Order: sequence, then C-alpha cells, then structure tokens
Amino acid sequence: MVLDIVLAPLALEPQNFNVGDKVRVTVSFKYVVGVNTTLKLFAGPYYTNLFGKHLVSSCVGEAELALPVASTPAPQSASVDFILIPKANGGIDNGTYGLRVWIEDTNAVAEQDNVIIVSGNVGSTDIFSSMMPMMMMLMMLGMVMPMVTGGEGEVE
Amino acid sequence: METKTLAMNLGVFGVLQEGEDQPEYTAGWYVDPQTGQRVFYDPNTQKFYTMAGGVYIPLGYMNPSPKQVTLAIGDKLRITMSFKYSGPAISGAVCYYSIGVYGTFGFDEKMVGQNSKSIPQYVTPTLITDSYTFTIPSSVGTNWDDIYCKVYGGSPGVPQNLFGYENALLIAGTQPAITEFQISDFAKV
Repeated sequence: MVLDIVLAPLALEPQNFNVGDKVRVTVSFKYVVGVNTTLKLFAGPYYTNLFGKHLVSSCVGEAELALPVASTPAPQSASVDFILIPKANGGIDNGTYGLRVWIEDTNAVAEQDNVIIVSGNVGSTDIFSSMMPMMMMLMMLGMVMPMVTGGEGEVE
Repeated sequence: METKTLAMNLGVFGVLQEGEDQPEYTAGWYVDPQTGQRVFYDPNTQKFYTMAGGVYIPLGYMNPSPKQVTLAIGDKLRITMSFKYSGPAISGAVCYYSIGVYGTFGFDEKMVGQNSKSIPQYVTPTLITDSYTFTIPSSVGTNWDDIYCKVYGGSPGVPQNLFGYENALLIAGTQPAITEFQISDFAKV
C-alpha cells in the first residue's frame, strides 16, 4: 500500500475589513543576489470575473525592499501596507476579493482568492442591487405580455 | 572564489554498431504508448526525438536536477560527466559541456566548453570520467540555470549521448533570484 500525500501551503483565512482600513501583508521568501539591491514590494486586492483577474489598482500599496548580497539562499520576510479606499473616492466596492503580492522585476508572485471581504461603502451598488432595475422591468414585462398577447389571440 | 561541482552520468554505451540490446526500429514516427506523444526514431543515432518549434529534440535528455548549486559572479563550476564504455580505442572523442536556458525550443547555450578525449580499448564496460570548469561571468543571467553535456565523435566515432539537468543552478547575479515566495499573514493595522 502506498500513501500518496501532497503537502500544500496553508491557506489564508478570509477576513472582514471596512473601507478605509489599512491592511498589512507579510511575505516570506528566500533569495540570492550578487550585489546589494533595492526592489519594490507590491500588494493589493483583486476581483475575478469572466475575463480573468483584475487588480483594484487604486488600492495597491508598495514598500521598498532592500536585499543585501547573499550567495546562498537567504530567508527573508517583508511587509507592505495598502488602504481600502472607499468606492466614493474611486476605490473598492463592497464584496469579496483576492489578495495578490508581488516583487517588481522578478517572478515572485503570490495570491489567494476570496480572502478579503470588504463592507462599509454607503449606498453601495453590489451585483444584486445593480440588477434590480432590470429585474423590475422583466417582472413588469411578464405581467403586461399575457394581457397583450391575450388580446391579439381573440379572433371572432 | 569557490569551485563547485556537478556530476552527470551518461550511462553505458559503445561504438556505434549493431547492438544486441537495441530494438530494431525503422526510421519514422511512433506514438509513445504511455504518454501518447508522437516521437521520431532515427536509426542512425538510435534515438527517439520529439519536435518542438520545428526543431528535432532528443527525447528525454533533460532531467530534474538531483541538487541545486548556488553560484555567484566569479565562482567556478566544475561539471563532471561519467559513462561506461566498452569497445575499441577511440581518439579525439568530444566531451561537450554547456550552461544555458532550456525551454520549449530546446537548449539555448549561453556558455560552452569541450575537451578532446582519447579512450583506450575496453572489453567490458568501464567507467570513464571527464570534467570541465566554467567561471561565472558578470554578464550571467539569473535564468542560466540549466546544464547539459554530451559525448560524441572521435575515431572511430561514438554515438552522440546527451544528458542534462533542469534547474541545476541558482545564480546570484545582478538580478535577485527569489524562491519560496508566499504570503505569511495579512491583517488590519
């Protein structure tokens, strides 16, 4: 008998935030580099739709990341903050978002879906409320159509 | 600067001749029953090839590396190949080494080196080794992380034998190479 066990990274737990909150993201990694280098670490929320994943660019935060010379893989951690700017100020809407973190000019990217739950936008237009006018029109059409077709159907 | 080593075993081979263990395939396309992949057999080299980007690539000559060697600019990397040989004496066989980038379109050689090797006659498979030392230049790219070596040619000629390792090197160049990048935590502050 063979046990086939796959070890996966621990998943992040979803967390609730209000618009205006500052979120601090901590990352860990290993690196090697031949010269002292300063890079930028970015983090921000993203949403997913039929066309893929889209970063909420107005909420992306950045931080400087200094990497001293390391000729063998050196463990490193770093943090970056971003603010959930309210929808009214061109920011994020209420809803559930993924979290993406990356280091510029490298292949270092980490992300996880559906971990940032945002609320607190006043008069927010979520999917349901944005579809309400259309649903109302369809309901009215549904009530009117039988009367119209019923009238046309009567032939003497 | 430190010299680091990688060893590669090319297996067993002899001079190109009627091999008792070689199945007798004719030249042409075959389908690998395990993967369903279309492969081409060349009876001259007695090897299967796959086609990528219009180029025939020897099938399965690249392998996951058993270890990763970290190198900085100026470091020396010694690659040692070994194989077992039986057959007549050979003069001028070429032991060829390369560091580069392996991708869909084959191996992009960034650094190459070679030795001329004379092999005495052996009646039983005998271990032969050869090595070449590279010095990592300042222009090294962080993606120069693959290596391969081959032995071929000479008189009488030996069939070309290739062997390579993917992700064998971790280059500490001017651009950082980052691994194991992950989100540890996120919270309101």
